[in-house]
Amino acid sequence: MSLAPTRPAQGRANLRGMSTLYVKEVHRFLKIFGQTLIAPIVTTVLFLTVFTVAFGTDRQVAGLPYIEFLGPGLIMMTILQNAFANTSTSLIQQKLNDNIIDVLMPPLSPLELTIGYVLSGATRGLLVSFSVGFALWLIIPFNVHNAVFILVHGVGAAFMMSALGMMTGIWAEKFDHVSTVTNFIILPLSFLSGTFFTIQRFPETLQTLSHFNPFFYLIDGFRYGFTGHADGSVMIGLGVVIGANLAVWTGCFLMFNAGYKLKA
Amino acid sequence: MSGRWNCLGVWSLYKREVRRFFKMATQTFLAPVITALLFLAIFNLAFEGEGRSAADIPFVEFLVPGLTLMALMTNCFANASFAVMFEKIIQTIVDTLMPPLSPTELTAGYILASTTRGLFVGLAVGGSIFLFVPIEIHSWPFLIYHAISAALFMSLTGLITALWAEKVDHVASINNFAVLPLTFLSGTFYSIQHLPEVFQRVIQFNPIFYMIDGFRYGFFGYSDGSLTIGVILMFVLNIVLLHFCRYLFAIGYKLKA
Repeated sequence: MSLAPTRPAQGRANLRGMSTLYVKEVHRFLKIFGQTLIAPIVTTVLFLTVFTVAFGTDRQVAGLPYIEFLGPGLIMMTILQNAFANTSTSLIQQKLNDNIIDVLMPPLSPLELTIGYVLSGATRGLLVSFSVGFALWLIIPFNVHNAVFILVHGVGAAFMMSALGMMTGIWAEKFDHVSTVTNFIILPLSFLSGTFFTIQRFPETLQTLSHFNPFFYLIDGFRYGFTGHADGSVMIGLGVVIGANLAVWTGCFLMFNAGYKLKA
Repeated sequence: MSGRWNCLGVWSLYKREVRRFFKMATQTFLAPVITALLFLAIFNLAFEGEGRSAADIPFVEFLVPGLTLMALMTNCFANASFAVMFEKIIQTIVDTLMPPLSPTELTAGYILASTTRGLFVGLAVGGSIFLFVPIEIHSWPFLIYHAISAALFMSLTGLITALWAEKVDHVASINNFAVLPLTFLSGTFYSIQHLPEVFQRVIQFNPIFYMIDGFRYGFFGYSDGSLTIGVILMFVLNIVLLHFCRYLFAIGYKLKA
């Protein structure tokens, strides 16, 4: 019997291969869980403390006590940042170490590679959000207004950012490129999309522009799920989350399919 | 010659370290500027300019010294810790230990380089915030003294962390679980007057509180704590850390077999 890796019969998915890739990637971040799971909790609780002390606990934002407004925003922020960080750093590290070949050689189709990576990044984003959410829940009263919205937007955000992180990791040629995208695109977008404040505070032009920012819908819909308050249209939000996901997944698939910056 | 400083050696080490961070100028200088401006924007948008400051200082202005010093400190720590950590991991640290540099000279070279980075970042951040929020300076000597001593303190802490650490994970832990909380909870973004009384007392044991407080005094002539304690504490702490760092190099702690 040959020991060479083979694909399952034509037309079948290589489930074993995908789950192996997934497990490898999840092990990678669990090995440094202090950095990947616990550090975000500390950072988020710090943000919460600073904002409430500087702001006072008695104020209202959009008809909600500020702390209840802030909670969902902080959780969403950790999903966005951690899902992105996981896939982008994993890929750039493998590229720099030249061991990306170990992932490209096995009989995994571009779609299977995409799924394996996206799921592992999303797992990190969601695990972090659970731990952060739990820590916040000890401090802030949380209501659940609509669980479907929390779920769709939470998972949608994790998938989307994980896929965006992959595209960044594939495109980047050095760590500097990944940090540039993180510092100059992801961080500003996740800070300025209504995480800490309602976009009604923006000047009108920026408010209009925000309605083209997918991050805004992710945070807004997620917050709607908890509080029942939304700055934008929740239905458009759902559409944007699904559309944006389709777009980035397709992007990843096409990059792997073409071997963009991966194969000579 | 015995008893003379190896000035050329220290200068070379300094130059190499400074070049290291100038090579990635966008990450080193632009990223902290963007982050600080983001924080400024968020605090203003979230609080409608009505966050709680102190002594009738407008909240926007109250934030400026905190944001500037925070950028300065995090960069000093990052620079000193990562420089040595990387050299240890890729085992090029031997190239720094072999040349005829005394422990004092090694400490001086590394610390001056990180301090340079911190002060440059502080200037860049402070300068760019100043474009949006013009502020009159109350006392330059206080501002400069606290900027430099905070830079030294964080560089020394970073260097000691890197000497102790065995992997990047250790450095990141110190950063996430000690440096970041101490920085955030030291009155960077608010006046400690608004904290419950117990915390007001606890915070007086946080050295970073005195750095920010004294630095802020340089801007507004207002301080939450005692300025004298701050000035003396900074001086003493830096001397102690400096000697400790020198001592670690001297015994080759985790550097020489």
